[in-house]
This record gives sequence, structure tokens and C-alpha cells, in this order.
Amino acid sequence: MDGFNEDMKLKGLEPLRVNGDSRLLTHLNACVHCGLCAESCVYYQVYKDEHFVPAKKVDIVSSIYRRYNTFSGKYFPWLTKARELDEKTIEEMVDLLYGTCTMCDRCTVHCSIGVDIGYLVRTGRTMLANMGYVPATLQSTVNAAINTGNNMAIPLDEFTDTIEWLEEDLQMEVEDDNARIPLNEKDKDILYTLNPREPKFFPLSISAMAKVFYAAGESWTLSTRMYDVTNYAYFSGNNEEAEIIAQRLFDEMEATGSKRCVLAECGHGSRSFRWEGPNYMGKEFHFDTLTSVELLAEYIRSGKVKVDSGKNTERVTLHDPCNLVRSGGIIDEQRYILKNTVSDFVEMTPHGTNNLCCGGGGGQLSMSEYNERRMKIGGLKAEQIKNTGAKIVVTPCHNCVDQLIQINAAYKLGVQIKTMAEVVADALIIDK
Amino acid sequence: MSTIEIEGRVFEVDGDGFLADPHIWDEEVAKLIAKHDGIEEMNDKHWAIVNIIRKNWEEKGMAPMVRTICKETGVRLKEIYELFPLGPARGACRVAGLPKPDGCV
Repeated sequence: MDGFNEDMKLKGLEPLRVNGDSRLLTHLNACVHCGLCAESCVYYQVYKDEHFVPAKKVDIVSSIYRRYNTFSGKYFPWLTKARELDEKTIEEMVDLLYGTCTMCDRCTVHCSIGVDIGYLVRTGRTMLANMGYVPATLQSTVNAAINTGNNMAIPLDEFTDTIEWLEEDLQMEVEDDNARIPLNEKDKDILYTLNPREPKFFPLSISAMAKVFYAAGESWTLSTRMYDVTNYAYFSGNNEEAEIIAQRLFDEMEATGSKRCVLAECGHGSRSFRWEGPNYMGKEFHFDTLTSVELLAEYIRSGKVKVDSGKNTERVTLHDPCNLVRSGGIIDEQRYILKNTVSDFVEMTPHGTNNLCCGGGGGQLSMSEYNERRMKIGGLKAEQIKNTGAKIVVTPCHNCVDQLIQINAAYKLGVQIKTMAEVVADALIIDK
Repeated sequence: MSTIEIEGRVFEVDGDGFLADPHIWDEEVAKLIAKHDGIEEMNDKHWAIVNIIRKNWEEKGMAPMVRTICKETGVRLKEIYELFPLGPARGACRVAGLPKPDGCV
């Protein structure tokens, strides 16, 4: 906690200046401490530590709010358990809000009176970001995105080289020299995005999606200037940086003249652009934005691509990314896809809106500081997977994919982890 | 900073088990980290991958694209995931003694 001073404190308190924000005011003052959120939380379920109860995370933010924004808090803080924003409080905030929350919003959905707990955790993170207390490993990923245009700092020539390699591969796979992975083309129906981990380390999902686009005869392009679907500033809480990143994709939609922006399989990326982006930028989108899960379902439903569920015969289960199901309401599409592309699909318990977080959300995957906790809460997901007897776990989120790969190894599950596009690509029937 | 102990040797690592000081890395260290990940014996392909990752990091300050790994080593993409079950980042880069790459890995 070096160098904490009055200036930083004012910046930290800024997000709590309600200024007519009735949403913030309501949620800050609504928790009745019923405790029902406790069992919602993967951290509490595993650790049984009362500090990890979501209401405690709400408490620390609202107690600071009371201290500086209410009469009783200003003059009689002890009467309302109002808390000073000082070094001790900050240390606790960092550990609770970054270190014991995956922003999975399960507590929000379960809250007996509807407190938007996730929103308050994010507000607390914004306070910490304003003061410069974002965990270094998380900030490093934000910095890479801001400074280089993608969160893994992939150089342009290496990106282009990778895409060309994948294009050659696609041409061999579909036996057609005209099969393309188009770059920087104008006025296409779709601008497609990627999670940088795909071109960098896991390109099979790009190949899969390109194959589906090929089968659908889609008019699409990637942009070398802006292809990154992620926005780690959503995790850090820094709204200025979140706006910069979202604005870049918005600008690229305009520059390329694309009609629809299709977000790669990425939970927080979908959330931070499609659902939070207009708030960061203070404007509505004049183009359509959809997740690739919705697009894949659309292709199958309309008959634009033909699939055969007999091509995927091993037992498959589905991991629901929190940001897609709980925050985005995308629940049926992934199930519709699986019912059409695999012959043995089993649900986890619980699933859908009530699904458990994999443990990698909220920026946890990037924060080495909390690695031990992340792998421990991942044990709940490991148990869920084991109980399905599945050989393949499918999830429409690259962040979840990585956490699941690690859970797979740590808990010796012996399963394969795949994206939705990979499953669809495997089931494709391509007419020659 | 955490530490891990593998066969009596203690290494300072970050929370994810990546070496705190990439410069203490040598082949012996690579073998030990691999063992820690369940890779009992590093074969020629493991070494080819680790060496190209190490070389790229020393020259460019970052892990190579998996494309570069395939091109330079001749190992097929799918085989890389079999050789390093945790993937190129948490698997191969960690064995190569690199700091943890940024992003969703």
C-alpha cells in the first residue's frame, strides 16, 4: 500500500458520488443481510469463510459510501458501521473484490431482494482502479491491449502469417483453393473477432469457424487493425480504458463498413462490447452485434449449414459461461446447437442460469496472485463434469476453455475441451 | 512470491508456477518443471518446442506464435497439445522458463 494519499482517496471515492444514479443508490442501500447469497458463491462453497459471502463484498463498498455520503456516516460513523477509505480498507477491498470474486453474478441472480451484487463489486473495482490498485498481472493484460491493440501484444506480421497459414490449411481441409480467411475486406456482412489466445496459441477454433463460414457461403472478414474481442478493463474496473478498447471495435465496424459485428466465443468480451459497450461510450450501436453462438444457431436453424449429429458420437456436456447465460440471457442457442451436432448430450447439474462458474472469470485467469484459490474453486466444476460421464466438455468461451484445460489436468478428468465452433465444424456436411 | 520444490530443488515462482527469474533457467530446470507437470521424460519434440520458445523469448522478449513453433520444429499443431497437455502457454512456456504470457491463458 505504498504512497496512499488524499488525492488518491478522492479519486477512489469518485465512483460513489451517486449524482442521481438511482441504480447505484438503490443497490448500495438495499442489502438486508439475509445471507442467502452465501451458498451461491463458489468461494464460499469451497472455503466456508464468512468473509467470502457476497453480502460482505457489498458491505465493504456500501460502508465506505455511508462514511462519505450520508449524514450519520459523516458524523457518527460507528452507528452505521461506516468505514474510512484507508489503507487497511483498501487492502481488504483488493483481496475481496479482485481475489474472491469471479464476477459470475450467481449471487445477483439468487439475491432475495434483487441487489445487483455484481454491479457493486464492479463499482468497488472501479474505486480501486481509480487509485491504482489493480493487481499487476491483470493490469498488464489491459496495458498490452491498450498499447498494442490486442491483449497478447501479437505483432501484426506474426498475426498475418498465422492467418495465411490457417487459410492454406482450410483450403486443404475442404479441398478448395478458393476457401478464404479474408483480411481487411470492406463492406462485408460480418466483421468477425477473435480472442488473441486463438491466433497466438489455440488456432483450431479459428479454423473451425472459418470452415463454418465457408460452408455457409458467408460474406465476412477479419481486421488486422482490430480483431481482439476481449476487454480486460471490464475486469479491472477502469472505465476509461474499457471505453478506449470498446471504441476501437466500434470504429473498426465503421471503417470496414461491415453490417454485423460477430463476437468470438468469449463471455466477458461479449458482455463488455455488446451489453456494456454502449454505456462506456455513451452511444447506441447503429449496427447489429451478436455472439458467434447465436450465429451458429442461426445457420443451423435456417439450413444455411447442414450438420449431422452422427459425426460426434462421444458423450458431450456443456459448460455455460456466466457472462453469456446469466448476464446475456443466451441459454437456449448453445443447447439447440448441441442437440443438432452431437448424438449424446448431457447437462451438468446445475446448469443454465444457475450454472457454477468455472473459476476463471472476473480476470482470475490472468491474476497469478490468486491462482491457488482459482484452482481450488475449480474443484466444484471438476465434480460437475465427472458426474456427467462426458468425454468432451464444450463451452462457448475461450477464457472458460483455458480454465477447463487446467481443471482437466489438475483433477485428472481425462476429457477434451472444445469450443462450440469446433463441434459444429466436426458435424458439418459440405456439399461439393 | 511463492516457491515450488521439485526433487529437492526449490524455485521462486509467481502464483501460477512460472519462474520468478527466467534467467536461472537451464535444461535441468526444464526437466524438473516438466516432471512437475507430469511429463516424466522430455523427448526430442518436447526439446525442440522448448528451445524455439526460449530462443524467441531471448530474441524478441515474448513467446512465439504457435504457428512459429510448428514451422520451426515441424511438430504438428494437434501434437503440441498432446505433448504439453496444459497447452503452449501454461505448459510449454512454463517449461521454457518464460514469465506467464498476458491474456486468457
